[in-house]
Amino acid sequence: MAIKFEQVNFEYPSFDGYNFSALKDINLEIAEKGEFITLIGETGSGKSTLVQHMNALIRPTTGSVTIYGIKIEKDTKKKGKVKLNPLRQRVGLVFQFPEYQLFEETVLKDIIFGPKNFGVKESVAIERAKQVIKHVGLDEEYLKRSPFNLSGGEKKRVSIAGILAMEPDILVLDEPTSGLDPKGRDDLLKLFMGIHNDLNKTVIIITHDMNTVYKYASRVLVMNEGHLVYDGLPQELFSKENIKSWNLDIPDIITITRQLEDKLDVNFDRQPHTIQDLFELVKEVI
Amino acid sequence: MNIIEIKDLSFSYQDEIDALSNVTLSVKKGEWVSILGHNGSGKSTLSKLIIGLLKADSGEIKVDGVILNEESVHDIRRKIGIVFQNPDNQFVGVTVEDDIAFGMENLCFEQSDIIDKIKEYAEKVSMSEYLKKEPHALSGGQKQRVAIAGILAMKTDIIIFDEATSMLDPKGRESIMNYIKEINKAGVTVITITHDMKEAVLSDRIIILKEGRVIACGDTNDILNDKETLNSSNLELLLPLKLQYLLDEANLSNDKVKDILWQLSLNK
Ligand SMILES: Nc1ncnc2c1ncn2[C@@H]1O[C@H](COP(=O)(O)OP(=O)(O)OP(=O)(O)O)[C@@H](O)[C@H]1O
Ligand SMILES: Nc1ncnc2c1ncn2[C@@H]1O[C@H](COP(=O)(O)OP(=O)(O)OP(=O)(O)O)[C@@H](O)[C@H]1O
Ligand SMILES: [Mg+2]
Ligand SMILES: [Mg+2]
Repeated sequence: MAIKFEQVNFEYPSFDGYNFSALKDINLEIAEKGEFITLIGETGSGKSTLVQHMNALIRPTTGSVTIYGIKIEKDTKKKGKVKLNPLRQRVGLVFQFPEYQLFEETVLKDIIFGPKNFGVKESVAIERAKQVIKHVGLDEEYLKRSPFNLSGGEKKRVSIAGILAMEPDILVLDEPTSGLDPKGRDDLLKLFMGIHNDLNKTVIIITHDMNTVYKYASRVLVMNEGHLVYDGLPQELFSKENIKSWNLDIPDIITITRQLEDKLDVNFDRQPHTIQDLFELVKEVI
Repeated sequence: MNIIEIKDLSFSYQDEIDALSNVTLSVKKGEWVSILGHNGSGKSTLSKLIIGLLKADSGEIKVDGVILNEESVHDIRRKIGIVFQNPDNQFVGVTVEDDIAFGMENLCFEQSDIIDKIKEYAEKVSMSEYLKKEPHALSGGQKQRVAIAGILAMKTDIIIFDEATSMLDPKGRESIMNYIKEINKAGVTVITITHDMKEAVLSDRIIILKEGRVIACGDTNDILNDKETLNSSNLELLLPLKLQYLLDEANLSNDKVKDILWQLSLNK
């Protein structure tokens, strides 16, 4: 197991003494290799809080998170023995707001910061930067720009490039596709899928897009009010009745298939996974 | 009557990057217009020019018959509310309630009215329990909800939503879209900037930007079907229309199916 949550509770401190409990009794295991996980759940359900535990950015209030054999507990840092830097390189986390991640003068400096920090030679880091900037759909010219003077979607892409350049073992992305144009969204999901397939790395993606979940995920986690309420296959999730009570939705392809069955008065013998599948089914009945 | 008229507008950042070139467009009073386009196509820049946060290099913007310039900018801002793409850019107060109040205070609402409206609009976006919290200690979607509440409460004639629902859960997104429908029916002019065709389909008209230029502008129903234009600007067809294209290509379509798929696209 690369990451293991045991009885994790997390409270955000508050000045008035009423601490806010954002994670409740989380037990969860993430394998080092071979998983493509989507993490979903309503606004404020604890998704971002959960993933920030995965590279020890925050520590549990009670319980523990073990990351590559290193056990992180409430007072881990105070003891001062544990080195967290290597963990941050192995588990790469892209923040929900790119603004929290970008701080250098140029995009190039921003992208090479991570690798250099983890001991990669500058010349190698620069080569990586030239590669990853293209992978996220921007041309090399952008390396010279200031990361603050970019459009929303461009910032998002640069923040993703910075983590890709670290070449982490596990890639954790907090809403990487919100704010991307549809082609950018598809291209980047394919890129993550490629990293997963070619290098057999585990990828974890937070999203509100049910189509992404249905199309890509091999495992889906659902958070609700600080609890992990579902951990399993997407197909099963979307056939559950309580999905609406978690403020989730059904993927478009399932909705449209159901509506078509209704309007055409037919029953397809299987649930299509892609629009091409649905086309094959419709072909037979018209 | 056109409430916004833009003529030959050009703008570049730091004299080198042309963000907008010769943009001409108009928005009718009471209309709902979507602005679409690839990342970096100039959507947010255009919205900042309309409210006078950026100054055009050339061209003209008229709001409600008045030309936007240094003298008129304050009056024009009283007519337009904008929900920024990044909600953090909207927050100035120490608490969520300060932030919802901020826009109303600028418009000189009565204090007692402000107190009522904070409650009413926090309720509308399901944030009533968070009024005393610091805006920066909220989740992404909660920030977006607060930003939306603050602008709605101002009750301006025109509201621009710059990807205002991009981080909301499906249910939250639906309820905000329903609310936008409601205020638009009540006469508010709405401009939504979005990448989501399911949101765009709700508007009367769609304008597409590409590399700082308007490349399409027309009735939503016409643009929805325009596969080439959509693809060329990194956009996509709605799923039922994708199916329609596959059927057309295979010469398999018939009127009945076509009609059904069209109705499904319009979500009827
Ligand atoms: N810094 C903070 N201080 C106090 N409370 C916080 C802080 N950050 C988050 N919270 C609260 O913790 C809860 C979980 O937040 P989190 O950001 O993990 O949600 P999320 O599932 O990522 O939501 P979203 O989909 O909106 O991004 C929310 O109710 C939020 O208000
Ligand atoms: N502050 C800035 N300084 C310099 N250039 C900028 C600045 N903000 C944006 N740009 C550039 O101007 C162009 C238009 O940006 P804009 O933010 O208007 O795009 P957008 O259509 O809103 O994109 P997105 O969908 O990513 O939000 C882009 O090429 C961008 O790099
Ligand atoms: Mg979040
Ligand atoms: Mg923008």
